[in-house]
Amino acid sequence: MDYVLLLQRIFDALFNSAIYSSLALALVIIFRATGLLNFAQGEMATFTAYIAFVLLSGPQPRLTGGGLAGIIPGVPFSIPLAITGAVICGMAAGAATERALIRPLGGASDLALVNITIGLLLATNSLMAQWWGTGPRFFPSIFPTGAGQHFMIFGARLRYSTVGVWAILLSVLVLLVLLLRHTRAGLAFRAVSISPSSAELVGVRVGPTLMYGWALASGFGALAACLSANSVLLEPSMMLRVLVYAFAAATLGGLDSPKGALVGGLIIGLSQTLIPAYVPFIGFELSVLPALLAMVVILLIRPAGLYGTKRIERV
Amino acid sequence: MVVAERRVSRLSAFGIAALCVALVVIPFVTSTTGLRQASQIIVSVLAVLGVNVATGYGGMISLGHGVFVGVGAFATGYYVSDLSLPWLVAILLGAATAGVSGALVGLPALRIKGIHLALVTLGLAIVFRPLSKRFPSITGGVSGRSIDARFDAPGWWPGDGRMASSVYRYLFCVLIVLVALWATWNVVNSRFGRSMRALRDNDTAAAVYGVDLVAARVTTFAISAGLAGLCGALQVVLVPFVSQDKFTAQESLVIYASAVVGGLGTIWGSVLGVLARTVVGKVGAVAAGFDGLGPVGEFFSLLDEPAFVFGFGLILLTFLFPRGLAGIRRKGGSSQ
Repeated sequence: MDYVLLLQRIFDALFNSAIYSSLALALVIIFRATGLLNFAQGEMATFTAYIAFVLLSGPQPRLTGGGLAGIIPGVPFSIPLAITGAVICGMAAGAATERALIRPLGGASDLALVNITIGLLLATNSLMAQWWGTGPRFFPSIFPTGAGQHFMIFGARLRYSTVGVWAILLSVLVLLVLLLRHTRAGLAFRAVSISPSSAELVGVRVGPTLMYGWALASGFGALAACLSANSVLLEPSMMLRVLVYAFAAATLGGLDSPKGALVGGLIIGLSQTLIPAYVPFIGFELSVLPALLAMVVILLIRPAGLYGTKRIERV
Repeated sequence: MVVAERRVSRLSAFGIAALCVALVVIPFVTSTTGLRQASQIIVSVLAVLGVNVATGYGGMISLGHGVFVGVGAFATGYYVSDLSLPWLVAILLGAATAGVSGALVGLPALRIKGIHLALVTLGLAIVFRPLSKRFPSITGGVSGRSIDARFDAPGWWPGDGRMASSVYRYLFCVLIVLVALWATWNVVNSRFGRSMRALRDNDTAAAVYGVDLVAARVTTFAISAGLAGLCGALQVVLVPFVSQDKFTAQESLVIYASAVVGGLGTIWGSVLGVLARTVVGKVGAVAAGFDGLGPVGEFFSLLDEPAFVFGFGLILLTFLFPRGLAGIRRKGGSSQ
């Protein structure tokens, strides 16, 4: 076995791992607080990546359809600034979604919540296709990605972009932990996640707190989309496959465990690169299959995942 | 044995009559292309009906019924061209193959429920295209394959030429769809249909009353997938070409959305869902044709996109009419 090649593949996998972890975190934050899987998370994130794209390139005539491209001022933003802008837009959109679409339903059935998020997925997806076309677009990377831009470790190349994406993810995570542990809003959010009705009884305003949760989650999603748009190319359905990996990661780690999302993202990212490399039938394109199978097996054998809380069904 | 209410209200009687008239008139007023499109629309009722059986009656959310349409289409194409089976046998076998694949999906659905099942079926819908590319001898790989056999009118059919064959295919599809609607109506109103609904409403209580959970769930999923597979098989009848790029995840979601928008838990809901999709699409296509409407025109061209209309429609109907179009007249307070 070629160990340098194995190490190289692990290094390559780490970039995707970070993306899956952050999208899985977005899913977990919302699931913890509301018990709802946001199927539209990926498309909402893609939309923010398009916003970053417009901020970067301005309203170009080759963007099909006038639409939004004409509304946003075409300031040639720098890449970090554009991504920050996209994340802020994403957070606003997430908060608005909670306020306008989820809260009025007031804890409706699973079916109604699935319908809302699937509706959002379809509408956002076709809106993006209408405004920006379905063709893939080049999205610049925030990190240096040239030929020599890497560290050499035991003969394998660790790209600056991989290190950078993990640095961003970990620092945002530290921020999140600080926010949850040391602010009143964070305390309120933790209380609502554990028990909305008890939290309400001790005076926490559940609605606005959930709105913060949605904003945070959508921020993570936006970050994931903007950081991965360089490697998967920006197109309306780019996050659909990524969403399966993220869901698999979240399921593996436990759908209500942020730590699980991180670990799950790491494992799914590694297996996504390593399984196709050593199992010829799978190949690159079919690498979604192991993730899906993993998801099914976990849901069958251990629905709580690695770190999640076991659910006890009351009859 | 049937205890369900069988009375037909005046409005639905009018609706049925209008639909029957439309079905008879269509072949006289369109070209072969128009007739093929009409047939495709009519056939798509089956896929929506499949979702309705699984989700509306069985309470199992399926976001991946496009997969079973695909299995039905690929299988029928394989049977009729590679195995040279007669069309009728190939169609039935194709639907059965989809039904078996549905039963396989139904097995994990014994433990995976609600929102988690939605997640798994969505994953399935996303995996299907790359997976089907791995079997190029059956699916034609990336570019698809055309089926050698043609579904042409037999010798005794009056008239010849392309139009006669088109009418024959159209009537064949209409007949199959009507039979499938009738059969499904009977199934959901049978003893088995009642155990399906009991499962949906409270599976523990259903089990206590003696419903075999395993058999009921697997059978429900198999029937539902079989209906979707029949849709795929008839698509091959209409256009002898199969390709993986028709079975996208978005397509699966639009099928699901059509079922919900039309109304879950009623057979007519599925017909209404497809009708709504067709009418809105036509309005959008006509309106988008006018020049100089500016942003309004752009909005109309969005109406041409089923994904947009049904995404938006799903959200709107969840708030306004949780029972879907079929339930507008009933007082629908709860979202079940």
